[in-house]
Amino acid sequence: MLGGLMVWAAHFFALYGVASLLPGRPEARWLVLAATLPAIAAEGLLLWKAMRGANQPDSLERWTSQLGAAGAAISLIAVIWQGATALFA
Amino acid sequence: MKSETGFDPALLDRFPTEGPRPKDELAELERVWRAPKGWALLTVVNNNYIGMFYVGAAFLFFVLAGVLALVMRVQLALPLQGVLPQETYNQFFTMHGTLMMFLFAVPMMEALGVLLLPQMLAARDLPFPRLSAYAFWAYFIGGLCFFASLFFGLAPDGGWFMYPPLTSTTFSPGINADFWLLGIGFIEISAIAGAIEILVGVLKTRAPGMTLAKMPMFAWAMLVFAGMILIAFPAVILATLLLELERALNWPFFDATRGGDPMLWQHLFWFFGHPEVYIIFLPAAGLTSMMVAALSRTELVGYQLVVLALLATAFISFGVWAHHMFATGMPTLSIGFFAAASMAVSLPAGVQVFAWIATLASGKPRYNTPTLFLVGGLVTFVIGGLTGVMVAMVPFDWQVHDTHFIVAHLHYVLIGGAVFPVFAGLYYWTPMMSRRALSEKLGKWVFWLMFAGMQVTFLPMHLTGFMGMPRRVYTYLPGMGLEPTNMISTVGAFMIGAGVALFVFDLARNFRFSAEDTAGNVYGGGTLEWLPTGLYSTRSIPVVRSREPLWDDPDLPRDVEQGRYLLPGTATGHRETIITSPLRAEPQYLQIMPGPSIWPLLGALFTAGFFLLLTVQAYTPAIVSGILAVPSIMRWLWDTDRPVAETEVDVGAGIRLPTYATGPGTHGWWATVMLLIVVAMVFLMTVFSFLFVQGIHPAYWTDYGQAGWALPIVALYCGAGALTLLGRHLLGRKGSTHWSPATQVVLAGATAATAWGLDFGAWRNSGLDPELTAQAALIMALLAQQGMLVAVAGLMALYLALRNSRNMIVRPRSVTFDVIALFLLYVCVQGAASAALTRLFPGGL
Repeated sequence: MLGGLMVWAAHFFALYGVASLLPGRPEARWLVLAATLPAIAAEGLLLWKAMRGANQPDSLERWTSQLGAAGAAISLIAVIWQGATALFA
Repeated sequence: MKSETGFDPALLDRFPTEGPRPKDELAELERVWRAPKGWALLTVVNNNYIGMFYVGAAFLFFVLAGVLALVMRVQLALPLQGVLPQETYNQFFTMHGTLMMFLFAVPMMEALGVLLLPQMLAARDLPFPRLSAYAFWAYFIGGLCFFASLFFGLAPDGGWFMYPPLTSTTFSPGINADFWLLGIGFIEISAIAGAIEILVGVLKTRAPGMTLAKMPMFAWAMLVFAGMILIAFPAVILATLLLELERALNWPFFDATRGGDPMLWQHLFWFFGHPEVYIIFLPAAGLTSMMVAALSRTELVGYQLVVLALLATAFISFGVWAHHMFATGMPTLSIGFFAAASMAVSLPAGVQVFAWIATLASGKPRYNTPTLFLVGGLVTFVIGGLTGVMVAMVPFDWQVHDTHFIVAHLHYVLIGGAVFPVFAGLYYWTPMMSRRALSEKLGKWVFWLMFAGMQVTFLPMHLTGFMGMPRRVYTYLPGMGLEPTNMISTVGAFMIGAGVALFVFDLARNFRFSAEDTAGNVYGGGTLEWLPTGLYSTRSIPVVRSREPLWDDPDLPRDVEQGRYLLPGTATGHRETIITSPLRAEPQYLQIMPGPSIWPLLGALFTAGFFLLLTVQAYTPAIVSGILAVPSIMRWLWDTDRPVAETEVDVGAGIRLPTYATGPGTHGWWATVMLLIVVAMVFLMTVFSFLFVQGIHPAYWTDYGQAGWALPIVALYCGAGALTLLGRHLLGRKGSTHWSPATQVVLAGATAATAWGLDFGAWRNSGLDPELTAQAALIMALLAQQGMLVAVAGLMALYLALRNSRNMIVRPRSVTFDVIALFLLYVCVQGAASAALTRLFPGGL
């Protein structure tokens, strides 16, 4: 249920770490890219898994899967958004 | 339907039951839950009373902070006014911000949680009533003493964020800053205690059948709120401790000339400070979601999306702290992430706003006071949100940073997002706890005065900021064009004041506290708090089958009142509630709850005494007070964890539940884990500080040649952990003697103490001087933290031995034993990590 948001959080703190350890260095942008691509993949995977579970017969499982899918979707956008900001800033 | 715990959900179909109930069942329930009277009321622990006291105290601080604001507005109404001298003005704005943020906003949300949650969840009470009482008394006593510092000219004057170096002893030599640092640190401990109570309450005491998908939105909001407190508040507790250590012992954490860094304070403070805004907003959003549905007489539109919005806000809010630091010269890349996250956080807030608008549009809202406050809050919050997006843009932020534009923005967000919803809530829920509802006629006057006053005060303030007037400056020169907008703001502030005064008058006229004979469901709400209640909450605990059970089953109040659901009386003759599973709310066991006690009050009094006496440098009385706090708290705990004769009882319709349980699924275990999360966050933040100052000022770092000590210290901590596990194993073994399990724990405590002694001694002998560099100071801070944990673990081990000597440790499994073992294991892990980090980084690897 919270997987998508957790990946977003991990991605954010990875970017913060890169920016703090390598301030103003060109390799920081490549590290940002290296952190962003797996995060996008993880978000996509979570979204796919959650959407598969969104039609389960049990009402609570269906509800949590739908919530997880929506969370992964919004986190996917957030990861691309903040990754792109860093790359093009 | 699937099961989470093995409980057959079909059993709940037996409710409501048929047939007459025993005659004296209700009388017995009333006797068990009766509140003490007269002076003994100070020992009360029922959530109705503690919640009411809590709300009253938070409102008192709101009024006091408001009075300070009015005096400040008089000072700023005209240029070169002499109402407040510069020093006093500094104290006033510091106290206004501090009171509003720390003593009104967060405590008010916790107060509403304590007051409303048990009824909303149909629990008899929150799971740790004495902890609620302790949290309230600690907050109230600490808050009053803190406020009183203003009358002695000793109030803090460094702003509510207390940035060093302004608050260092060089620039703030008096004890004003110490009042803030020790007072707020202490009050935040009380907030954390309340948060643990609320988290466990929401997850473990919901009525059977109330799955996560059927939870009232306020319960969702409080769950997220309490989780955020556990993560965010340790940062400010650590920050206040470090700054107080710097001031008292000259340890240079924030002194750039000795390898520290003032930016460290800003990182720690805002890691707490920005989530704090959402910590205040989310519960108010939960209240709004519930009221908007009830007042529009329809279901909330987009329930699931609103839950997602709450969760997403919680996560994203931890990625925006540095937008308060855009003007400090951070790396461009960092600024990019923080600006992106700051804009992104407006999305979940927007989801909620649209859900509320859609609910109002699709329902049939009535023209009454709570609806007015909701709509007024919505409009105000949206304006504040839009200026928030503006200041998330870095170039704009640079222009308006530290001007009155920011003052206007934050008041729009906080008054629209929290104060108006709280006032709506006070009107909406007063009939649940008072014999009379508040006046609708006066209420509308209160709203229009406050709403109009809010706009008149803060809309022109944007302009004042644009014209360049800085924050926290006690006056301005004539002829700068600042007079008209300042005068208008002052008039508006008095309009808000008049609205609040009218509300207080209405309270005095109509509010009559009662838990039984209340005005009832005036606004037609559909959730469980509107069931008939007494001091025991509901007569019987209903089975929940929808999100608005009272709308979907009109017979529910009658059946609940006639005792046709679970636990219609007292099954054991004690106070008790049903503990349910976290996801599907399946009944697990019956929790026996403690009754009234003086010890939480005394514990709070002595803990407050310890912190406040330290502030005025009365060291001996402070130590005496601190020592007295320990037995008070132990005495309160002594009454708990006492199994009753019946190991299993019928809770209705032939469903039998155990009366004693321990282990990972139980409420005590969950509370301990949450406490350990707080402790771990303090540790992680200290590690962050350690790495941060090393990264900023590596030239000040020395390799002390301590790497060789890491292994023996880590080995000793591992030994202590192993002894703890052995003790836990022996408790379950039939052949072990009465004393062998407890002895292992005492030995584990002694081994951990030895490990810490070795750690401390090795550093002492290395010539480490914490006054010399930030590195040495941080190593000493980590050692002090660990020393405190080891001391607490030692006290716990002694407490265990004492209980064992009185045959109060249950076999094969005991809650007390499990909780102490869990704590000791954590202490060992942190001790080993701390010893290894300080020795192996940098240079040792």
